[in-house]
Amino acid sequence: MRLTPGPARDVDLECLDLFDLDLYSYGDPHPVWDVMRDKAPLHHQVLPDGREFWSVTRYEDVCRVLGDHREFTSERGTTPTHVGIDDPAAGVLLTSTDPPRHTEVRRPIGTKLTARAVKSWEDSIRRTIQRFLEPALEGETFDLAEKALLLPAMVTGPLLGIPEKDWEELVQLTAMVTAPSDPHFKTGSEAATLAIAHHELVTYVKEWVRTRRASGAEDDSLLHHLMSVRPGGAPLSDEEIALDGYSILLGANVTTPHTVSGTVQALIERPEQFEKAQADPSLVPNLVEEGLRWTSAACNFMRYAVDDVQIGGGTIPARGAVVAWIGSANRDASQFPDPHEFDITRAGAKRHVAFGFGPHFCIGGPLARMTLRIFFEELLQRFGSIELDGEPQHLRSYFIAGMTHLPIVAQKRKTP
Amino acid sequence: MESESQAAPAGAPESLVREISALWGEYLNGREVGADDDFFELGGNSLIGIKIIDRVSQDYGVALSVRDFYLAQTPLRVAELIEQGRAQP
Repeated sequence: MRLTPGPARDVDLECLDLFDLDLYSYGDPHPVWDVMRDKAPLHHQVLPDGREFWSVTRYEDVCRVLGDHREFTSERGTTPTHVGIDDPAAGVLLTSTDPPRHTEVRRPIGTKLTARAVKSWEDSIRRTIQRFLEPALEGETFDLAEKALLLPAMVTGPLLGIPEKDWEELVQLTAMVTAPSDPHFKTGSEAATLAIAHHELVTYVKEWVRTRRASGAEDDSLLHHLMSVRPGGAPLSDEEIALDGYSILLGANVTTPHTVSGTVQALIERPEQFEKAQADPSLVPNLVEEGLRWTSAACNFMRYAVDDVQIGGGTIPARGAVVAWIGSANRDASQFPDPHEFDITRAGAKRHVAFGFGPHFCIGGPLARMTLRIFFEELLQRFGSIELDGEPQHLRSYFIAGMTHLPIVAQKRKTP
Repeated sequence: MESESQAAPAGAPESLVREISALWGEYLNGREVGADDDFFELGGNSLIGIKIIDRVSQDYGVALSVRDFYLAQTPLRVAELIEQGRAQP
Protein backbone atom coordinates (compact mmCIF):
# COMPACT_ATOMS: atom_id res chain seq x y z
CA MET A 1 0.00 0.00 0.00
CA ARG A 2 1.08 3.57 -0.62
CA LEU A 3 2.45 5.17 2.52
CA THR A 4 2.33 8.69 1.11
CA PRO A 5 -1.33 8.97 0.22
CA GLY A 6 -2.59 10.40 -3.03
CA PRO A 7 -5.31 13.07 -3.12
CA ALA A 8 -8.44 12.72 -0.98
CA ARG A 9 -11.26 11.01 -2.83
CA ASP A 10 -14.90 10.07 -2.46
CA VAL A 11 -15.39 6.75 -0.73
CA ASP A 12 -18.64 4.83 -0.83
CA LEU A 13 -18.72 3.46 2.70
CA GLU A 14 -21.63 1.14 1.87
CA CYS A 15 -19.70 -0.75 -0.82
CA LEU A 16 -16.29 -0.50 0.79
CA ASP A 17 -14.34 -3.78 0.84
CA LEU A 18 -11.50 -3.53 3.35
CA PHE A 19 -10.32 -7.03 2.46
CA ASP A 20 -9.92 -6.19 -1.23
CA LEU A 21 -6.29 -7.23 -1.73
CA ASP A 22 -5.92 -4.94 -4.74
CA LEU A 23 -6.40 -2.01 -2.38
CA TYR A 24 -3.14 -2.98 -0.67
CA SER A 25 -1.19 -4.26 -3.72
CA TYR A 26 -1.91 -1.34 -6.02
CA GLY A 27 -4.18 1.02 -4.13
CA ASP A 28 -4.17 3.74 -1.55
CA PRO A 29 -5.96 2.84 1.71
CA HIS A 30 -5.10 6.03 3.62
CA PRO A 31 -7.73 8.26 1.96
CA VAL A 32 -10.24 5.48 2.70
CA TRP A 33 -9.30 5.35 6.39
CA ASP A 34 -9.39 9.17 6.51
CA VAL A 35 -13.03 9.06 5.45
CA MET A 36 -13.79 6.23 7.86
CA ARG A 37 -12.32 8.07 10.87
CA ASP A 38 -14.33 11.11 9.89
CA LYS A 39 -17.66 9.64 8.80
CA ALA A 40 -17.85 6.05 10.02
CA PRO A 41 -15.65 5.50 13.05
CA LEU A 42 -17.45 2.19 13.52
CA HIS A 43 -17.78 0.44 10.17
CA HIS A 44 -19.54 -2.84 9.43
CA GLN A 45 -18.72 -5.12 6.52
CA VAL A 46 -20.18 -8.44 5.40
CA LEU A 47 -17.88 -10.64 3.31
CA PRO A 48 -19.25 -12.47 0.27
CA ASP A 49 -19.36 -15.74 2.26
CA GLY A 50 -21.49 -14.15 4.98
CA ARG A 51 -18.80 -13.61 7.60
CA GLU A 52 -18.92 -10.12 9.04
CA PHE A 53 -16.70 -7.79 11.00
CA TRP A 54 -16.67 -4.34 12.46
CA SER A 55 -13.80 -1.90 12.05
CA VAL A 56 -12.51 0.86 14.29
CA THR A 57 -10.10 3.37 12.78
CA ARG A 58 -9.73 6.18 15.35
CA TYR A 59 -6.71 6.22 17.63
CA GLU A 60 -8.65 6.13 20.89
CA ASP A 61 -10.97 3.34 19.71
CA VAL A 62 -8.08 1.25 18.42
CA CYS A 63 -6.35 1.58 21.81
CA ARG A 64 -9.52 0.60 23.61
CA VAL A 65 -10.12 -2.51 21.49
CA LEU A 66 -6.51 -3.66 21.79
CA GLY A 67 -6.16 -2.66 25.43
CA ASP A 68 -9.27 -3.92 27.19
CA HIS A 69 -9.47 -7.71 27.23
CA ARG A 70 -12.63 -7.70 29.35
CA GLU A 71 -14.58 -6.04 26.53
CA PHE A 72 -12.57 -7.41 23.60
CA THR A 73 -11.16 -10.91 23.91
CA SER A 74 -8.17 -12.40 22.09
CA GLU A 75 -9.19 -15.94 22.96
CA ARG A 76 -10.90 -16.65 19.64
CA GLY A 77 -8.07 -15.40 17.46
CA THR A 78 -6.42 -12.09 16.65
CA THR A 79 -5.53 -12.08 12.97
CA PRO A 80 -8.00 -10.89 10.37
CA THR A 81 -7.09 -13.76 8.01
CA HIS A 82 -9.20 -15.88 10.36
CA VAL A 83 -12.11 -13.52 10.87
CA GLY A 84 -15.20 -15.41 11.97
CA ILE A 85 -13.38 -18.75 12.25
CA ASP A 86 -12.32 -19.53 15.79
CA ASP A 87 -8.56 -19.92 16.01
CA PRO A 88 -7.75 -23.60 16.65
CA ALA A 89 -4.72 -22.47 18.69
CA ALA A 90 -6.78 -20.12 20.86
CA GLY A 91 -6.10 -20.32 24.57
CA VAL A 92 -2.75 -22.06 23.91
CA LEU A 93 -0.98 -19.56 21.71
CA LEU A 94 0.14 -16.60 23.84
CA THR A 95 -1.19 -14.02 21.40
CA SER A 96 -4.63 -15.65 21.55
CA THR A 97 -4.84 -15.75 25.34
CA ASP A 98 -6.30 -13.20 27.73
CA PRO A 99 -5.04 -12.24 31.17
CA PRO A 100 -4.53 -13.68 33.75
CA ARG A 101 -3.01 -16.69 31.94
CA HIS A 102 -1.51 -14.37 29.35
CA THR A 103 0.26 -12.35 32.04
CA GLU A 104 1.65 -15.49 33.69
CA VAL A 105 3.19 -16.82 30.48
CA ARG A 106 4.27 -13.51 29.05
CA ARG A 107 6.18 -12.26 32.07
CA PRO A 108 8.96 -14.88 32.13
CA ILE A 109 9.39 -14.75 28.33
CA GLY A 110 9.43 -10.96 28.42
CA THR A 111 12.32 -10.81 30.89
CA LYS A 112 14.65 -11.88 28.06
CA LEU A 113 13.40 -9.13 25.80
CA THR A 114 13.35 -5.97 27.90
CA ALA A 115 15.30 -2.94 26.66
CA ARG A 116 17.93 -3.66 29.29
CA ALA A 117 18.22 -7.35 28.34
CA VAL A 118 18.55 -6.70 24.60
CA LYS A 119 21.20 -4.03 25.15
CA SER A 120 23.81 -6.76 25.55
CA TRP A 121 23.24 -7.79 21.93
CA GLU A 122 23.88 -4.31 20.54
CA ASP A 123 27.42 -4.92 19.27
CA SER A 124 26.64 -8.17 17.52
CA ILE A 125 23.54 -6.67 15.94
CA ARG A 126 25.61 -3.73 14.70
CA ARG A 127 28.08 -6.09 13.04
CA THR A 128 25.19 -7.95 11.41
CA ILE A 129 23.72 -4.75 10.06
CA GLN A 130 27.09 -3.60 8.72
CA ARG A 131 27.36 -6.93 6.91
CA PHE A 132 23.81 -6.50 5.60
CA LEU A 133 24.43 -2.99 4.25
CA GLU A 134 27.83 -3.60 2.66
CA PRO A 135 26.58 -5.01 -0.67
CA ALA A 136 24.29 -2.00 -1.11
CA LEU A 137 27.36 0.21 -1.45
CA GLU A 138 28.91 -1.71 -4.33
CA GLY A 139 27.17 0.55 -6.84
CA GLU A 140 24.75 -2.03 -8.20
CA THR A 141 21.00 -2.01 -7.80
CA PHE A 142 20.11 -3.30 -4.35
CA ASP A 143 16.58 -4.53 -3.77
CA LEU A 144 16.18 -3.38 -0.20
CA ALA A 145 12.69 -4.80 0.37
CA GLU A 146 13.71 -8.21 -0.91
CA LYS A 147 16.97 -8.31 1.05
CA ALA A 148 15.39 -6.90 4.20
CA LEU A 149 13.13 -9.95 4.47
CA LEU A 150 16.18 -11.81 5.74
CA LEU A 151 17.41 -9.06 8.07
CA PRO A 152 15.39 -10.06 11.18
CA ALA A 153 16.56 -13.64 10.84
CA MET A 154 20.16 -12.43 10.62
CA VAL A 155 19.62 -10.34 13.75
CA THR A 156 17.47 -12.67 15.82
CA GLY A 157 18.67 -16.07 14.56
CA PRO A 158 21.51 -16.29 17.07
CA LEU A 159 19.30 -14.97 19.90
CA LEU A 160 16.52 -17.42 19.13
CA GLY A 161 18.92 -20.30 18.63
CA ILE A 162 18.18 -20.84 14.94
CA PRO A 163 21.12 -21.93 12.76
CA GLU A 164 21.86 -19.86 9.66
CA LYS A 165 21.10 -22.73 7.26
CA ASP A 166 17.43 -22.57 8.29
CA TRP A 167 16.91 -18.82 8.05
CA GLU A 168 15.89 -18.59 4.43
CA GLU A 169 13.29 -21.30 4.66
CA LEU A 170 11.82 -19.91 7.88
CA VAL A 171 11.62 -16.44 6.37
CA GLN A 172 9.78 -17.85 3.36
CA LEU A 173 7.34 -19.65 5.67
CA THR A 174 6.63 -16.65 7.89
CA ALA A 175 6.05 -14.53 4.78
CA MET A 176 3.54 -17.12 3.58
CA VAL A 177 1.60 -16.72 6.84
CA THR A 178 1.29 -12.98 6.53
CA ALA A 179 0.69 -12.68 2.82
CA PRO A 180 -0.77 -16.00 1.63
CA SER A 181 -2.18 -14.34 -1.49
CA ASP A 182 0.95 -12.54 -2.58
CA PRO A 183 2.30 -14.16 -5.76
CA HIS A 184 5.78 -14.25 -4.19
CA PHE A 185 4.57 -16.55 -1.44
CA LYS A 186 1.35 -18.23 -2.56
CA THR A 187 1.49 -22.03 -2.82
CA GLY A 188 -1.72 -23.49 -4.25
CA SER A 189 -4.72 -21.81 -2.65
CA GLU A 190 -4.61 -19.18 0.09
CA ALA A 191 -5.86 -21.78 2.61
CA ALA A 192 -3.18 -24.28 1.53
CA THR A 193 -0.48 -21.62 1.76
CA LEU A 194 -1.47 -20.75 5.32
CA ALA A 195 -1.76 -24.37 6.39
CA ILE A 196 1.60 -25.39 4.87
CA ALA A 197 3.35 -22.47 6.54
CA HIS A 198 1.67 -22.98 9.96
CA HIS A 199 2.38 -26.68 9.83
CA GLU A 200 6.04 -26.36 8.82
CA LEU A 201 6.76 -23.65 11.38
CA VAL A 202 5.12 -25.44 14.29
CA THR A 203 6.84 -28.68 13.27
CA TYR A 204 10.16 -26.85 13.05
CA VAL A 205 9.92 -25.66 16.65
CA LYS A 206 8.74 -29.11 17.82
CA GLU A 207 11.75 -30.73 16.15
CA TRP A 208 14.04 -28.09 17.62
CA VAL A 209 12.75 -28.87 21.10
CA ARG A 210 12.94 -32.64 20.55
CA THR A 211 16.57 -32.45 19.39
CA ARG A 212 17.45 -30.18 22.27
CA ARG A 213 15.85 -32.48 24.83
CA ALA A 214 17.56 -35.50 23.37
CA SER A 215 20.99 -33.91 23.46
CA GLY A 216 20.48 -32.32 26.87
CA ALA A 217 22.30 -29.24 25.59
CA GLU A 218 21.53 -25.94 27.26
CA ASP A 219 22.12 -22.49 25.92
CA ASP A 220 21.11 -18.91 26.29
CA SER A 221 18.68 -18.86 23.38
CA LEU A 222 15.12 -17.68 23.56
CA LEU A 223 13.70 -20.97 22.31
CA HIS A 224 15.61 -22.79 25.02
CA HIS A 225 14.24 -20.27 27.50
CA LEU A 226 10.70 -21.24 26.40
CA MET A 227 11.51 -24.80 27.44
CA SER A 228 12.64 -23.77 30.90
CA VAL A 229 10.12 -21.13 32.01
CA ARG A 230 7.55 -22.15 34.61
CA PRO A 231 4.62 -19.76 34.40
CA GLY A 232 2.25 -20.36 37.29
CA GLY A 233 4.69 -22.99 38.63
CA ALA A 234 4.46 -25.45 35.73
CA PRO A 235 6.49 -25.69 32.51
CA LEU A 236 4.86 -24.88 29.19
CA SER A 237 3.34 -27.85 27.39
CA ASP A 238 5.08 -28.99 24.21
CA GLU A 239 2.20 -27.58 22.24
CA GLU A 240 2.54 -24.21 23.96
CA ILE A 241 6.27 -24.17 23.29
CA ALA A 242 5.69 -25.01 19.63
CA LEU A 243 2.97 -22.41 19.16
CA ASP A 244 4.69 -19.64 21.13
CA GLY A 245 7.95 -20.40 19.35
CA TYR A 246 6.05 -20.11 16.08
CA SER A 247 4.58 -16.83 17.22
CA ILE A 248 7.97 -15.42 18.17
CA LEU A 249 9.43 -16.45 14.79
CA LEU A 250 6.54 -14.79 13.08
CA GLY A 251 6.71 -11.60 15.11
CA ALA A 252 10.45 -11.35 14.56
CA ASN A 253 10.37 -11.90 10.83
CA VAL A 254 7.41 -10.27 9.24
CA THR A 255 7.19 -6.67 10.38
CA THR A 256 10.65 -5.12 10.80
CA PRO A 257 11.66 -5.55 7.12
CA HIS A 258 8.71 -3.45 6.04
CA THR A 259 9.48 -0.71 8.55
CA VAL A 260 13.03 -0.65 7.20
CA SER A 261 11.92 -0.45 3.54
CA GLY A 262 9.06 1.99 4.12
CA THR A 263 11.17 4.35 6.19
CA VAL A 264 14.03 4.30 3.68
CA GLN A 265 11.50 5.01 0.93
CA ALA A 266 10.17 7.97 2.94
CA LEU A 267 13.72 9.31 3.26
CA ILE A 268 14.39 8.84 -0.47
CA GLU A 269 11.27 10.83 -1.27
CA ARG A 270 12.29 13.55 1.20
CA PRO A 271 15.99 14.36 0.76
CA GLU A 272 15.69 17.24 3.24
CA GLN A 273 14.71 14.77 5.99
CA PHE A 274 17.59 12.51 5.02
CA GLU A 275 20.03 15.43 5.25
CA LYS A 276 18.59 16.55 8.56
CA ALA A 277 19.10 13.10 10.09
CA GLN A 278 22.58 12.87 8.64
CA ALA A 279 23.52 16.22 10.12
CA ASP A 280 22.26 15.26 13.57
CA PRO A 281 22.49 11.57 14.49
CA SER A 282 20.76 12.29 17.80
CA LEU A 283 17.56 12.48 15.73
CA VAL A 284 17.77 8.79 14.86
CA PRO A 285 15.67 7.46 17.78
CA ASN A 286 12.83 9.78 16.81
CA LEU A 287 13.34 8.96 13.13
CA VAL A 288 12.75 5.33 14.13
CA GLU A 289 9.53 6.19 15.99
CA GLU A 290 8.29 8.24 13.05
CA GLY A 291 9.23 5.36 10.73
CA LEU A 292 7.27 2.93 12.89
CA ARG A 293 4.25 5.25 12.87
CA TRP A 294 4.57 5.94 9.15
CA THR A 295 4.91 2.32 8.04
CA SER A 296 2.63 0.62 10.62
CA ALA A 297 3.73 -2.76 9.30
CA ALA A 298 1.22 -4.68 11.40
CA CYS A 299 -1.73 -3.01 9.75
CA ASN A 300 -4.40 -4.33 12.11
CA PHE A 301 -5.30 -6.86 14.75
CA MET A 302 -8.61 -8.47 15.53
CA ARG A 303 -10.56 -9.03 18.73
CA TYR A 304 -14.06 -10.34 19.51
CA ALA A 305 -16.60 -8.38 21.51
CA VAL A 306 -17.44 -10.22 24.73
CA ASP A 307 -20.85 -8.53 25.17
CA ASP A 308 -22.73 -5.89 23.22
CA VAL A 309 -20.40 -2.92 23.31
CA GLN A 310 -20.73 0.75 22.43
CA ILE A 311 -17.81 2.17 20.50
CA GLY A 312 -17.22 4.70 17.76
CA GLY A 313 -20.80 5.92 17.97
CA GLY A 314 -22.33 2.49 17.36
CA THR A 315 -22.75 -0.96 18.83
CA ILE A 316 -20.81 -4.14 18.17
CA PRO A 317 -22.97 -7.12 19.12
CA ALA A 318 -21.72 -9.76 21.53
CA ARG A 319 -19.36 -12.22 19.77
CA GLY A 320 -18.86 -9.84 16.85
CA ALA A 321 -15.39 -9.64 15.29
CA VAL A 322 -13.74 -6.24 15.42
CA VAL A 323 -10.68 -5.20 13.46
CA ALA A 324 -8.58 -2.43 15.00
CA TRP A 325 -6.81 -0.63 12.16
CA ILE A 326 -3.40 0.34 13.49
CA GLY A 327 -2.37 1.87 10.16
CA SER A 328 -5.28 4.28 10.47
CA ALA A 329 -4.85 5.06 14.18
CA ASN A 330 -1.29 6.11 13.46
CA ARG A 331 -2.56 8.72 10.99
CA ASP A 332 -5.26 10.11 13.28
CA ALA A 333 -4.92 13.90 13.24
CA SER A 334 -6.23 14.13 16.81
CA GLN A 335 -2.94 12.54 17.93
CA PHE A 336 -0.60 13.36 15.07
CA PRO A 337 -1.06 16.82 13.53
CA ASP A 338 -0.56 16.74 9.73
CA PRO A 339 -0.58 12.95 10.00
CA HIS A 340 0.39 12.36 6.37
CA GLU A 341 3.59 14.35 6.75
CA PHE A 342 6.69 12.25 7.43
CA ASP A 343 8.65 14.34 9.93
CA ILE A 344 11.62 12.91 11.79
CA THR A 345 11.38 15.72 14.32
CA ARG A 346 7.70 15.13 15.04
CA ALA A 347 6.88 15.65 18.72
CA GLY A 348 4.96 12.72 20.16
CA ALA A 349 5.82 10.31 17.34
CA LYS A 350 6.40 7.72 20.03
CA ARG A 351 2.68 7.67 20.87
CA HIS A 352 2.17 5.49 17.79
CA VAL A 353 0.56 2.10 18.23
CA ALA A 354 2.68 0.28 15.65
CA PHE A 355 3.62 -2.24 18.37
CA GLY A 356 0.00 -2.52 19.46
CA PHE A 357 -1.34 -1.36 22.79
CA GLY A 358 -2.12 -2.93 26.14
CA PRO A 359 -1.39 -6.47 27.32
CA HIS A 360 -0.38 -7.76 23.87
CA PHE A 361 2.05 -4.92 23.14
CA CYS A 362 4.76 -6.40 20.91
CA ILE A 363 7.04 -8.47 23.15
CA GLY A 364 9.92 -7.87 20.73
CA GLY A 365 9.34 -4.10 20.65
CA PRO A 366 12.54 -3.16 22.51
CA LEU A 367 14.62 -5.40 20.25
CA ALA A 368 12.96 -4.00 17.12
CA ARG A 369 13.54 -0.43 18.32
CA MET A 370 17.20 -1.10 18.96
CA THR A 371 17.66 -2.92 15.65
CA LEU A 372 16.02 -0.08 13.73
CA ARG A 373 18.07 2.53 15.56
CA ILE A 374 21.31 0.71 14.72
CA PHE A 375 20.14 0.22 11.14
CA PHE A 376 19.56 3.93 10.58
CA GLU A 377 22.70 4.96 12.46
CA GLU A 378 24.74 2.75 10.16
CA LEU A 379 22.82 3.73 7.04
CA LEU A 380 23.21 7.46 7.64
CA GLN A 381 26.85 7.11 8.50
CA ARG A 382 27.73 5.09 5.41
CA PHE A 383 25.35 6.26 2.71
CA GLY A 384 25.83 9.64 1.05
CA SER A 385 22.71 9.40 -1.05
CA ILE A 386 20.05 6.90 -1.94
CA GLU A 387 17.98 6.87 -5.09
CA LEU A 388 15.11 4.79 -6.28
CA ASP A 389 16.08 2.52 -9.17
CA GLY A 390 12.75 1.06 -10.26
CA GLU A 391 9.17 0.74 -9.16
CA PRO A 392 8.49 -0.36 -5.59
CA GLN A 393 6.10 -3.30 -5.33
CA HIS A 394 3.68 -3.65 -2.47
CA LEU A 395 2.82 -6.74 -0.48
CA ARG A 396 -0.54 -8.27 -1.34
CA SER A 397 -1.91 -8.36 2.18
CA TYR A 398 -4.48 -6.55 4.26
CA PHE A 399 -2.75 -7.72 7.42
CA ILE A 400 0.86 -6.67 6.89
CA ALA A 401 1.56 -3.38 5.14
CA GLY A 402 4.81 -3.82 3.30
CA MET A 403 6.85 -4.07 0.17
CA THR A 404 8.23 -6.97 -1.83
CA HIS A 405 10.55 -4.85 -3.99
CA LEU A 406 12.29 -1.54 -3.41
CA PRO A 407 15.22 -1.26 -5.83
CA ILE A 408 17.69 1.38 -4.76
CA VAL A 409 21.10 2.65 -5.75
CA ALA A 410 23.26 4.14 -3.02
CA GLN A 411 26.45 6.17 -2.99
CA LYS A 412 29.06 5.95 -0.28
CA ARG A 413 29.21 8.89 2.07
CA LYS A 414 32.43 10.78 1.50
CA THR A 415 32.77 12.80 4.68
CA PRO A 416 31.45 10.80 7.56
CA MET B 1 -20.40 -35.83 -0.64
CA GLU B 2 -19.35 -37.63 -3.80
CA SER B 3 -20.71 -41.05 -4.68
CA GLU B 4 -18.49 -44.12 -4.58
CA SER B 5 -18.48 -44.55 -8.35
CA GLN B 6 -17.31 -41.00 -8.98
CA ALA B 7 -14.65 -41.48 -6.38
CA ALA B 8 -13.19 -44.57 -8.02
CA PRO B 9 -9.52 -43.72 -7.87
CA ALA B 10 -7.02 -44.06 -10.64
CA GLY B 11 -4.04 -44.69 -8.42
CA ALA B 12 -5.36 -45.86 -5.06
CA PRO B 13 -7.59 -48.78 -4.05
CA GLU B 14 -11.11 -47.82 -3.07
CA SER B 15 -10.65 -49.33 0.38
CA LEU B 16 -7.71 -47.02 1.06
CA VAL B 17 -9.71 -43.99 -0.07
CA ARG B 18 -12.49 -45.01 2.33
CA GLU B 19 -10.01 -45.45 5.17
CA ILE B 20 -8.51 -42.04 4.58
CA SER B 21 -11.96 -40.43 4.38
CA ALA B 22 -12.83 -42.08 7.69
CA LEU B 23 -9.53 -40.98 9.23
CA TRP B 24 -10.26 -37.37 8.28
CA GLY B 25 -13.71 -37.69 9.76
CA GLU B 26 -12.19 -38.72 13.10
CA TYR B 27 -10.28 -35.46 13.30
CA LEU B 28 -13.05 -33.31 11.82
CA ASN B 29 -15.61 -33.70 14.60
CA GLY B 30 -16.72 -37.14 13.41
CA ARG B 31 -18.40 -35.77 10.32
CA GLU B 32 -18.89 -37.84 7.21
CA VAL B 33 -16.19 -37.16 4.67
CA GLY B 34 -16.43 -37.97 0.96
CA ALA B 35 -13.52 -38.90 -1.29
CA ASP B 36 -13.54 -35.57 -3.10
CA ASP B 37 -14.35 -33.30 -0.18
CA ASP B 38 -12.06 -30.34 0.29
CA PHE B 39 -9.99 -30.39 3.48
CA PHE B 40 -10.33 -26.67 4.08
CA GLU B 41 -14.04 -26.50 3.29
CA LEU B 42 -14.51 -29.23 5.90
CA GLY B 43 -12.90 -26.93 8.46
CA GLY B 44 -9.44 -28.49 8.25
CA ASN B 45 -6.45 -26.57 9.54
CA SER B 46 -2.77 -27.17 10.19
CA LEU B 47 -3.26 -28.52 13.71
CA ILE B 48 -5.61 -31.17 12.31
CA GLY B 49 -3.25 -31.75 9.39
CA ILE B 50 -0.37 -32.45 11.77
CA LYS B 51 -2.43 -35.17 13.48
CA ILE B 52 -3.56 -36.72 10.21
CA ILE B 53 -0.03 -36.83 8.76
CA ASP B 54 1.21 -38.41 12.02
CA ARG B 55 -1.50 -41.06 11.80
CA VAL B 56 -0.74 -41.81 8.16
CA SER B 57 2.89 -42.28 9.11
CA GLN B 58 1.99 -44.68 11.95
CA ASP B 59 -0.74 -46.61 10.17
CA TYR B 60 0.72 -46.83 6.67
CA GLY B 61 4.42 -46.22 7.18
CA VAL B 62 4.37 -43.39 4.67
CA ALA B 63 5.79 -39.97 5.55
CA LEU B 64 3.69 -37.54 3.53
CA SER B 65 5.27 -34.27 2.53
CA VAL B 66 3.49 -31.39 4.23
CA ARG B 67 3.20 -29.48 0.98
CA ASP B 68 1.86 -32.46 -0.95
CA PHE B 69 -0.74 -33.15 1.73
CA TYR B 70 -2.27 -29.66 1.75
CA LEU B 71 -2.03 -29.25 -2.01
CA ALA B 72 -3.76 -32.61 -2.49
CA GLN B 73 -6.67 -31.34 -0.40
CA THR B 74 -9.00 -34.39 -0.82
CA PRO B 75 -8.98 -37.91 0.68
CA LEU B 76 -8.83 -39.36 -2.83
CA ARG B 77 -5.67 -37.51 -3.77
CA VAL B 78 -4.10 -38.11 -0.35
CA ALA B 79 -4.79 -41.84 -0.80
CA GLU B 80 -2.98 -41.62 -4.14
CA LEU B 81 -0.01 -40.00 -2.41
CA ILE B 82 0.07 -42.85 0.10
CA GLU B 83 -0.09 -45.38 -2.71
CA GLN B 84 2.79 -43.66 -4.46
CA GLY B 85 4.71 -43.54 -1.20
CA ARG B 86 4.25 -47.27 -0.69
CA ALA B 87 5.38 -48.01 -4.24
CA GLN B 88 8.71 -46.34 -3.61
CA PRO B 89 11.45 -48.65 -2.33
